[in-house]
Amino acid sequence: MIRANGLIRRFGDLVAVDCLDLDVKKGEVFGFLGPNGAGKTTTVRMLSALIAPSDGSASIAGVKLGSDNREIRRRVGVLTETPGLYRRLSAWDNLLFFARLYTVANPAAQVEKYLRLFDLWDRRNAPAGSYSKGMRQKLAIARALLHEPEILFLDEPTAGLDPEAAKTVRDLIETLRSEERTIFLCTHNLDEADRLCDRIALFKTRLITTGSPEALRGQMYGQRTAVHLANYRPGLEDSLNLPFIKHVEVVDGELIVSLSDPKSENPDLIRRLVELGADIQSVAELKVSMEDMYMDLMEENHA
Amino acid sequence: MHRVGVLLIKEWRESMRNKMVLIGVLFLPLVLVGTSIYMITSAEGSDPTEQIVLFNMALMYFLLLPAIIPMAIAVYSIVGEKEQTTLEPLLATPISDAELFLGKALASVIPGVLVSWISFGAFLLILRSMVGAVPLQALTAPWLAAIFGLSPLLSMFAVGVTVIVSSKATDARASYQLSTLAILPGLIPLIVYTTQKSLVNLRLIFLEGGILLVACVAVLYFAVKLFQREQILTKWKG
Repeated sequence: MIRANGLIRRFGDLVAVDCLDLDVKKGEVFGFLGPNGAGKTTTVRMLSALIAPSDGSASIAGVKLGSDNREIRRRVGVLTETPGLYRRLSAWDNLLFFARLYTVANPAAQVEKYLRLFDLWDRRNAPAGSYSKGMRQKLAIARALLHEPEILFLDEPTAGLDPEAAKTVRDLIETLRSEERTIFLCTHNLDEADRLCDRIALFKTRLITTGSPEALRGQMYGQRTAVHLANYRPGLEDSLNLPFIKHVEVVDGELIVSLSDPKSENPDLIRRLVELGADIQSVAELKVSMEDMYMDLMEENHA
Repeated sequence: MHRVGVLLIKEWRESMRNKMVLIGVLFLPLVLVGTSIYMITSAEGSDPTEQIVLFNMALMYFLLLPAIIPMAIAVYSIVGEKEQTTLEPLLATPISDAELFLGKALASVIPGVLVSWISFGAFLLILRSMVGAVPLQALTAPWLAAIFGLSPLLSMFAVGVTVIVSSKATDARASYQLSTLAILPGLIPLIVYTTQKSLVNLRLIFLEGGILLVACVAVLYFAVKLFQREQILTKWKG
C-alpha cells in the first residue's frame, strides 16, 4: 500500500530523510517511531504528496508519487501534529468545509456520522476554538476520516487526550484495521505502538530497523523466561543442564533463562527445576518494554 | 472551480466572525463616505474651484477602499491559517495550488471591489438626497474610470502584496503593517495633486492604470510562486 525506495529529502545541506525504504501492506498498522527532529513529519509529508522527495521513488495506494499527487491526496487522510482547526467556525462548518473539498458524496450525512462517532454531535454548533484539547483532537481525527481514505497518516493521535478519549481513538484504530485500512502511525507513546502496531519502524533520518514488536524483541534480546524462586540455592543454574537453554543469569534470586521457544520449552524447564527441589513461586515470559528496546536501539544507533 | 467556491464560502464565513476584518470591511467605508459627504456639503456655495478640489480629495478616499479592504481580509485569511496551523490540513486535501490561490485572492478582491462600488453608490445617493441632485463633479470620466477601472487593479495589487508579506510574517499585526504599502498606488492622485497642483484627469488615471497593471502582473507572479505547497510548508515562516 505504501512503498518507498531510497527516498531522500534534503533541505539545503541538511539531509532530513536519508535513503528510506518502506513496504507497508494493506490493512497494516505501521508504527513510525523516532525522536523529535528525526524526519518523521518530513516523511509523512512526502508520502502524503505534500512535498516532493529530493531523490528516490514511492507509490502510495498504487499511485506513483509525483505522477498524480492530487489522486494520492484524495486517497489518504492526514492527521497533523496539531489539530489545525478553524477556531471561529463551528465543528459542523469545519467538517463540512473539508467534506466538500474532498467532494464527499453526501457531505452532511458524512459529517453527522463522524460527529456522532466521536461524541461531538451535541456541541456541533459551538466554535472549534471553544473545544477542549481532547475534543479538538477528536474533531481533527474525524476530519482525516471524512472521505474514508484507504491510508491514514496519524501523527500523535492520542497526544493530549484523556484516558477515555485515548481509548476511543485506539479502539477506532482497531476498527479501521478490521476494515482493511492502512494506518501509518507516528507516535512517541511506545506502549501504544506496542499494543496497536503490526510492525514498527525505528527511524532517525535513516531507517534503523523494522519488524513486529515481538520479532524485534526476539532479535535483540532473544526469548526469556523469568523464574521466581522462594529460596534461591546458589549453583542451581549450573545443575539445570538442559540442551535448549542458551543462557541463564540470576538477578535478585530470580532465574532469567534464555530459550529458543518458551512455549514448548518452559514445561521441561519447570519440570527440571522441580526435580532439583526448587521452590517455584512464579514463572513468566520476560517481555522487554518497548521503551527499553527503543532506548537500546537508539543508543546502539548513536554509538 | 467547485473547490474555489467551497473555499470562498469558508473564507467569508470566517471573515464574518472576525471583528478585526469586519471593522476593516464595514467601519472604514462608513467613515470615509461620511467624511466625504461632510466635506462636500460643508463647502456648498463656496468657490467652484474649491469644490472641485474637495471632490478630488473625496475620490482619493474611494481609491483607498479597494486596497484597504482586500488587505484586511487577506492578512487574516493567510496569517490566520498560519496562526491556527490550518494550512497543512488544507494542503493535504485534493485542492490544487492554483485553486487555493484563486480562492484566497477572490475572497479578498470581490468584497474589496464590491464594498468600494457600493460605498461610491451610497455616497452619490446620500449627496443626491442632501443636495438635491447627483453632483456632476463626481460623475466625470476620470472619476468613473478611477472607480470602475482602478478599483479591481488596486484590489489585486493589494492582495498580491499581502500574500508576499504574509508568507514571511508570523503574526497578523506585523503583516498588516507591512502590507499597508499596498495602498500607495491609491495615493498617487493625491501625491500628484499635492506636488503638481494638478487635478485628477483621464490621462493620469490611464497612466496609473497602466503602471498598476504591470505592477499587478509582477506582484501576482511572485505571489503565485510563493503560494505553492512546497513553498508554504518549507519556506513560509510559521
